[in-house]
Amino acid sequence: MNVRIEQVGKAQEELVLIRCRAVTDEVREIAVFVKSRAGSLTGTSDERQYEIPVTDVCYIESVDGKTFLYTRDRVYETAYRIYELEELLKPKHFLRIAKPMLVNLMKIQSIQPAFNGRFTAVLSSGEKIIISRNYVKALKAALKGE
Amino acid sequence: MDFKRFLVNKLILFFMLSTLITAAVSLIGLLFDGDTRFGYKEMLTPIEYAALCLLPTLVTFSKRELSPKALLARKALMLVLIEGVILFIAFTSDVIDTGRVEVVLTIVGSVLVIFVLVHLFMWFKDAAEAKKLNRELEAFQKHHA
Repeated sequence: MNVRIEQVGKAQEELVLIRCRAVTDEVREIAVFVKSRAGSLTGTSDERQYEIPVTDVCYIESVDGKTFLYTRDRVYETAYRIYELEELLKPKHFLRIAKPMLVNLMKIQSIQPAFNGRFTAVLSSGEKIIISRNYVKALKAALKGE
Repeated sequence: MDFKRFLVNKLILFFMLSTLITAAVSLIGLLFDGDTRFGYKEMLTPIEYAALCLLPTLVTFSKRELSPKALLARKALMLVLIEGVILFIAFTSDVIDTGRVEVVLTIVGSVLVIFVLVHLFMWFKDAAEAKKLNRELEAFQKHHA
């Protein structure tokens, strides 16, 4: 696949156009990547596809090889793997807080102590998720901007 | 948790246990056998007890994160094992009068109290850390809003 970058003027709309013979998984992946960079993720719920603004996502969880995006009131499945989203969403203040979980730091309302050195993140949606001990150091560093 | 951090936590626990066991042994001794005098050798007893009590805590080690239920189950097992270790020491000791039910019950109760106190101290430590994290989180969110 050839890649061509064309610069446009300020008055024109920025657009990424993929010209392909068939919409393969690879093409879909590229589309998802571009959308995530633009601030939204593609997710499916009730067999319908949605564009979910990254800022609406509270946390992301991987369950049995599937990845789910949790917003305040809905759950969407996404084609992305958790490690791919970790890299993609780092600039959007997402942080890994457990092996199968990423959290949007902007959506944490408070942090409470949990049993045995772990912490619970209380999200703005009211949900509570566990911050694994292994990721507490990374959380501290992220909050300090390191 | 990696094994190195697990060992560091156990070392902290060891010092905490040594202090609490010293207090418990002194109180139980004063309560049931206040006139007895010990030599320097006996001063090592709380340290030995603390070291022995650390062995059952190995049941809580896991490389992967335990679920709250699994952790609770392992903690319960740990308590039972610690009670077993302490009672074994008590029943094989010539100094401790295990023929008296109140002595045995006090030992069992003391282990339970120390177990609860250790976890309470750890919870206070985590609560202080959570308070600090909340302050940093607030600053982070204000900065990036």
